[in-house]
Amino acid sequence: MGSLPSMMPRLRPGSARTGRIDRLGWRAGTCFDAYGLRVGVRTNAPALLDRLGPHLPPGWRACASPLVDQIFSVWVDLDDARRPSRVYAGRSRRVRTADLAHAFAVLESEIRQSVAAGAEHRTFVHAGVVGWGGRAIVIPGRSRSGKTTLVAELVKAGALYLSDEFAVLDGRGRVHPFAKPLSIRGASGCDRHAQARRAEELGGACATRPLPVGLVVLAEHRPGATWRPERLTAGQAVIEMLAHTVPARLRPEASLASLERAVARATVLKGARGEARELAQILLRSVEEEETVSRHGTGEGGTT
Amino acid sequence: MKPVARRDGLLTRDLKDELLVYARDEHRAHCLNHTAATVFKNADGTRTVADLARLVAPEADRTASEAVVGETLARLAEAGLLEGDPAATGWSRRDVVRRVGIGAAILLPAVASIVAPTPAEAAATCATSCASKADGTPCTCFGANPCTATCVSGTCSDGGSC
Repeated sequence: MGSLPSMMPRLRPGSARTGRIDRLGWRAGTCFDAYGLRVGVRTNAPALLDRLGPHLPPGWRACASPLVDQIFSVWVDLDDARRPSRVYAGRSRRVRTADLAHAFAVLESEIRQSVAAGAEHRTFVHAGVVGWGGRAIVIPGRSRSGKTTLVAELVKAGALYLSDEFAVLDGRGRVHPFAKPLSIRGASGCDRHAQARRAEELGGACATRPLPVGLVVLAEHRPGATWRPERLTAGQAVIEMLAHTVPARLRPEASLASLERAVARATVLKGARGEARELAQILLRSVEEEETVSRHGTGEGGTT
Repeated sequence: MKPVARRDGLLTRDLKDELLVYARDEHRAHCLNHTAATVFKNADGTRTVADLARLVAPEADRTASEAVVGETLARLAEAGLLEGDPAATGWSRRDVVRRVGIGAAILLPAVASIVAPTPAEAAATCATSCASKADGTPCTCFGANPCTATCVSGTCSDGGSC
């Protein structure tokens, strides 16, 4: 990753213009690359760049060129810190807030979403992901659907952590790590008071290489429910996952191809779940059983 | 009657026993099972319902297989995958199921459809800003009740500052 270079970003020719925001008096900037998308951040308060690192997406790399695809801008009132700061994505103001931590949270979220939409050689699916036995367990779902809770329980049970936000698929359908800290909410489900926890703090570890998908779990949390899932066909699975795929409209052909390859050798289960801890054990056993069946089916490691 | 399946503006991918169809203009994706895919691929304006029925179920009772094709055409039309409206068969879906029988239920058509999400909808984590976010996206805008707030028409539902 390295350190962030100090350079004022400029949009590549053909990128969406930022208009009059360019005239706000930017004094410092930096550029980085994440999953092939070149991103610039500029500010009127150079000291803010020192705080930027922890808010960048996993896997970012410093850029040598100031030409970028997308510019984010952070403006603060240097004379009166109580006055609101502003965050812009391109020419669009995303937040106006006197809480600088909130401004950085908005910036972080907007950069991640921009990368998820703009990464040309990866397909980002909104999902939690862990690894077990050399295969990925992918848990697509909307926000507050319990993905992070289930991912955390799987990590506590020994699974490798890949992400609690995005399954990053390559053209072969493998999932790459996007290991930002887990965002764990309290019992109220409150986001503002969510805690960022690293996998290691849960007793787990992060995956360091891409994994083929072994299991896709479409689970809706219903208190007290017993996990009796239905098994989906490959086509049904692709449709279900497409509903959580960030570039679905922007690059439907590539999205469908990645999803199809991802589910080609995966078991896809859909159903209502009860408590995450209980389901985590069931899912890990399920992957192991499928792996055993697969090994015997191919003769690999069999006793014939 | 010689039905014609829509061809323009569609992206298709063949899977084993299924067909994925993506309509670029409406951003709708469909998964067609074997029966629906067979009718969709062969409804080219040169084949009658009887012809399609022979392709779908060559061994089956003629009346039953034509009922299945009629039902398939109705489902394809509902999904926007047929040019024009299919002629009404006069059979309800229940009639079709009864006619086909449980043993041949595998012949029944299935078309699962979704509207593909926008990037903002798909990536919607608990938004820290409601700008450009779909209504109902959970948000944590400053000043909002962070446990309940959602985005509504680009602003926070309970008055938070986005």
